[in-house]
Amino acid sequence: MKQKAPKAKRTKAQKREAIWALCFIAPTIIGLIILNFYPAIDTLWQSFCKTGDFGKGNIFIGFENYAKVFVAEETWHSLWNTIKYALIEVPFGVVIALVLAVFLNKKLKGTSVFRTIFFLPMVCAPAAVAMVWKWLYNQQFGLLNNIFGTDIAWISDPKIAWISIGIIGVWSVIGYNMVLFISGLQEIPGDYYEAAEIDGATGIRQFFHITVPLLSPTTFFIVQTRIIGALTIFDLMFMVMDKTNLALENTQSIVYLFYTYAFTNGNKGYGATIVVFLVIFIMIVTFILQRVEKKLVYHP
Amino acid sequence: MKKLAAIILAAMMTATALTACGGSGGSDGASKDSGSKSGTINVNIWDSNQQKGIQEIADKWTETSGVKVKVEVVDWDNYWTLLEAGASGGTMPDVFWMHSNTAQMYMENDVLLKLNDYIEKDKIDMSKYYEGVKNLYTRSDGNIYALPKDHDTIALLYNKAVFDKYGVEYPTDKWTWEDMYEAAKKITEDSNGDIYGMAMNTSNNQDGWYNLIYSYGGQVITDDHKGTTIGSDESKAGMEMMRKLLTVGAPQSVVAETGTDSLFQSGKVGMITQGSWMINSFFTAENHADYAWALLPYADRNGNGTCEKEERWSAYNGLGWAASAATKDPDSCASLIEYFCSEEGQKLQAEKGVTMGGMTGVSDAFANAFEGMDIKPFLDAENYSLYFRPYTRKTTVWEDALQQAGAFLDPWQKPDDAALMAKACDNAQKIIEDAIAAE
Repeated sequence: MKQKAPKAKRTKAQKREAIWALCFIAPTIIGLIILNFYPAIDTLWQSFCKTGDFGKGNIFIGFENYAKVFVAEETWHSLWNTIKYALIEVPFGVVIALVLAVFLNKKLKGTSVFRTIFFLPMVCAPAAVAMVWKWLYNQQFGLLNNIFGTDIAWISDPKIAWISIGIIGVWSVIGYNMVLFISGLQEIPGDYYEAAEIDGATGIRQFFHITVPLLSPTTFFIVQTRIIGALTIFDLMFMVMDKTNLALENTQSIVYLFYTYAFTNGNKGYGATIVVFLVIFIMIVTFILQRVEKKLVYHP
Repeated sequence: MKKLAAIILAAMMTATALTACGGSGGSDGASKDSGSKSGTINVNIWDSNQQKGIQEIADKWTETSGVKVKVEVVDWDNYWTLLEAGASGGTMPDVFWMHSNTAQMYMENDVLLKLNDYIEKDKIDMSKYYEGVKNLYTRSDGNIYALPKDHDTIALLYNKAVFDKYGVEYPTDKWTWEDMYEAAKKITEDSNGDIYGMAMNTSNNQDGWYNLIYSYGGQVITDDHKGTTIGSDESKAGMEMMRKLLTVGAPQSVVAETGTDSLFQSGKVGMITQGSWMINSFFTAENHADYAWALLPYADRNGNGTCEKEERWSAYNGLGWAASAATKDPDSCASLIEYFCSEEGQKLQAEKGVTMGGMTGVSDAFANAFEGMDIKPFLDAENYSLYFRPYTRKTTVWEDALQQAGAFLDPWQKPDDAALMAKACDNAQKIIEDAIAAE
């Protein structure tokens, strides 16, 4: 509210400055509008339409798509699959990454080598990662079954396929989380640890009473972005699960469902509705997370 | 509160970016193609096996026309995303393939170049092309949007090494589906399940179980493309035979993970059925000397012990050469298409082993294109009955549903349960009828 009054009597120099500022951010703004805002609004519009071929002949049908999406059992099933995936990826991805980060933050020999190794999965194309894991998991010729001498249908058994998929997710995301944790750890002043040592606190006590609380803003940030990331998971299921895989029903994520409708079946309107449904769900989750933020995050 | 708003916005953008990616990715690719310098025609296809041959034929056309042709391969999934994005307002490649899955949608929306005037002017005899392929690319008002490029048929592929090892006689043209069952049974049982006599997935439809339905007198899609008899007694008899084969074949969990082609090539399976478009991939495989083709088995419905014409059925499908309605140089595009589909172009295509022709009587040379591998069964299939690959306006909707749970995936899981297969046929009848009604 404060800026409003001086706005009317801007000096010439200020105006020029504002124009230049606009020019400098214009590429980003234009990019955002064309690549993000316009598609977002268009998606919302399409969700109310029975869409025609090639984006022509959209017919407005109100909430008809929504009624179908909300009633369809597969929508809720896919949402549940997505949540199950998030329940594996987020906690394990965060905890393992935190432990690794603490170890790699110490002044040991070869830390940078290990950091690079753990970060590598992040550099690989997700589709390539999924293809490699698909063959590791293969029941007949896969490395896993060969090494352990087992005969487990890792990705075709509906009971365990979702866990197998989750493991790939954890593996891919650990490096990224770890790097964020390391940067968070480096912000914690060393004096706390020195003081704790003088007081006779063990390493584990230090971890839970200094590292964990002081790292909580970073942890919260990671948890929040990973939840959103996990809820929009698609490529893993798409690459690993064959269309005729029995476990597909129990692993397909909500974005996979969207892909099936929008791109395989060419029903863009219904697909758009699924996306809006997902957006609403993510908004609710984010809202709840924001509420609990103050309670869980330690603000010194 | 401001922070909350920002995060919600961010969340929304992540989710909607999914749609954005699809759209923008496509148009990026398309705009790359539209950089057509005057004098170059961009051709898009999806099969890298054919790229070399097609480019050579196109170069031959360039010799007389002086217009350069650039053949680019885009894999099947991206091909359709790209083409659709191009048709929705971007730029399409100049000349490209059409397929029965989507042809009707493209033809109805006038995004393809109408070829009637060119056909009339250059006096092209449309009766020389395969009927089903020709009809597919002709709209109900008589407008023609693509010329038939090729046709494909289905045959039985078997591994001689496996047959020799278990002392089973090779498939012959006298084989019924029952004979196939007996052979598969012997291989599976004698190897104690180490090697499977046959393998077929629910996704092997055109190249697999569709052919059983037709052999036994059913139809997946009726001739008018408005209905199905997949729930009829004839179809059920075909699928009952299929079920029997599955009891001695590779289990569903195996074929869903590894794929029938990979299983076959690793020597784990004695027989699969495959289409002629896959010949090259088996011809170039490591153990190709062991592989041989045979006619698809038949169903001896009248029980006289010989194969009548209407007892052996193979699916056939054909691609079409189409051009964009918005191309800068429609005359050259039409001329290129006409050359591809002329007798000369079609014979070249067969000689080079690219595919069999869309024109009748030009494919004999194709049989000799694969030295050391006898692929005559694909040509012999035409002496019996052919049906055009079942399609409707939105084929993928029901085609995908048939492969999954709620349809044929259920009996594929438990092939011992005969009632389950019959029920799946009834479910399939409903799935197809509902899908057609929603088109």
